[in-house]
Amino acid sequence: MTCEEFERVLPELGSGHSIEQEEHLKSCRACSDLVADLNAISRQGRLLQGSEEPSPWVWNSIETSLRQEGLIHQPLQEHSLLHPPRLSWRLRWLVPAAAALLIVFGVLLHERGTGPAPTAEQQSPPASVQTAEVMASDDMQLLNTVGARMPSMRDAYEANLRTVNAYIRDAEQSAHSDPNDEVAQQYLRNAYEQKAMVYEMALDRSLP
Amino acid sequence: MSAAGKYDLTDAKKKQGDRLSEAEAIERAKQGDAAAFEALYNLHKRRVYSLCLRMTANTAAAEDLTQEAFLQLFRKIGTFRGESAFSTWLHRMAVNVVLMQLRKKGLPVVPLEENIETEEESPRKEPGADDPRLAGSIDRMQLQRSIESLPPGYRMIFLLHDVEGYEHNEIAEMVGCSIGNSKSQLHKARMKLREILKTSRAEKATKP
Repeated sequence: MTCEEFERVLPELGSGHSIEQEEHLKSCRACSDLVADLNAISRQGRLLQGSEEPSPWVWNSIETSLRQEGLIHQPLQEHSLLHPPRLSWRLRWLVPAAAALLIVFGVLLHERGTGPAPTAEQQSPPASVQTAEVMASDDMQLLNTVGARMPSMRDAYEANLRTVNAYIRDAEQSAHSDPNDEVAQQYLRNAYEQKAMVYEMALDRSLP
Repeated sequence: MSAAGKYDLTDAKKKQGDRLSEAEAIERAKQGDAAAFEALYNLHKRRVYSLCLRMTANTAAAEDLTQEAFLQLFRKIGTFRGESAFSTWLHRMAVNVVLMQLRKKGLPVVPLEENIETEEESPRKEPGADDPRLAGSIDRMQLQRSIESLPPGYRMIFLLHDVEGYEHNEIAEMVGCSIGNSKSQLHKARMKLREILKTSRAEKATKP
């Protein structure tokens, strides 16, 4: 058997070879290398099966569609704050936004704690005011979305947000009155963690 | 989803084996259980998404296709009677979704029979030529990149046969070609991959 003849039948060959083909492979390095390479490529290919992970929003979108189409049957009264309905994946950014704000506040507090004592002017923090406004706008957006999808849950979320916002205000006042007070700083961090948690509960998902 | 609410197949698998736990999830999904849908998604998401990603070489498109495949499946889950394996059903559906999408975009799913270029089938190597085998030196990343650079028709057949494990008769039915064409395209795809991998290795070797 010649190399040309062998190569002509190669696409049709499975795992086994005829005696004639085996003898050709024993005597021809080029053809035996070719077969070894093609087998190696095939073996490695199989290892690629299921090796990639989709981003979390894929499931979120699927579930939203299933709910909209009525394929998921869950009575509304089963919902609680711990297991709220899924919201649009487009609002996912609110969770990282809340987490990012938490980090920003952590950094601000850390800088205040380690830096020189602030002057009276510095004690009226424009960044905090600005952030509070952004949060208020985000709160309204979250409540509107919850209200649109699950009107019965809106009041519960609003009450939660009011409580956590009051907690944040108190913690901010304490932290501002004594920037070196580590306990006050910890309270403020906890307050923002709680707010992030409320957002996460509303979106019923964790960060990717 | 929260840990408490998650319907995790892992424990069920340990106790009852994959088939039973999956069957249980299918039955619950038929009743509209959100957690069962999520369990089925978690069980198969990697394989479906990897297939979509390799076929499209685009993460956003792959995620959309994954979503579409699962939605189609879940919409029809009520009709699943278990005559065939659930995974077979799902992956077949995923392949069909991808093929339909590629056809919509006018991308070639498989090259035409008459376009087969026999002259490029196998580069001749003389015995003793200094061209070591690839076998054993192919890593996953290299192969992944090489697959992405394959022409779409070759890529499709390679993915279906070598990565997903479909037989030529199944591929022929799915993509609408003859069994001979499927075998021929697979051989060409492997040959092309060998060529790309060798070129890439040679380029690496010449770099300082």
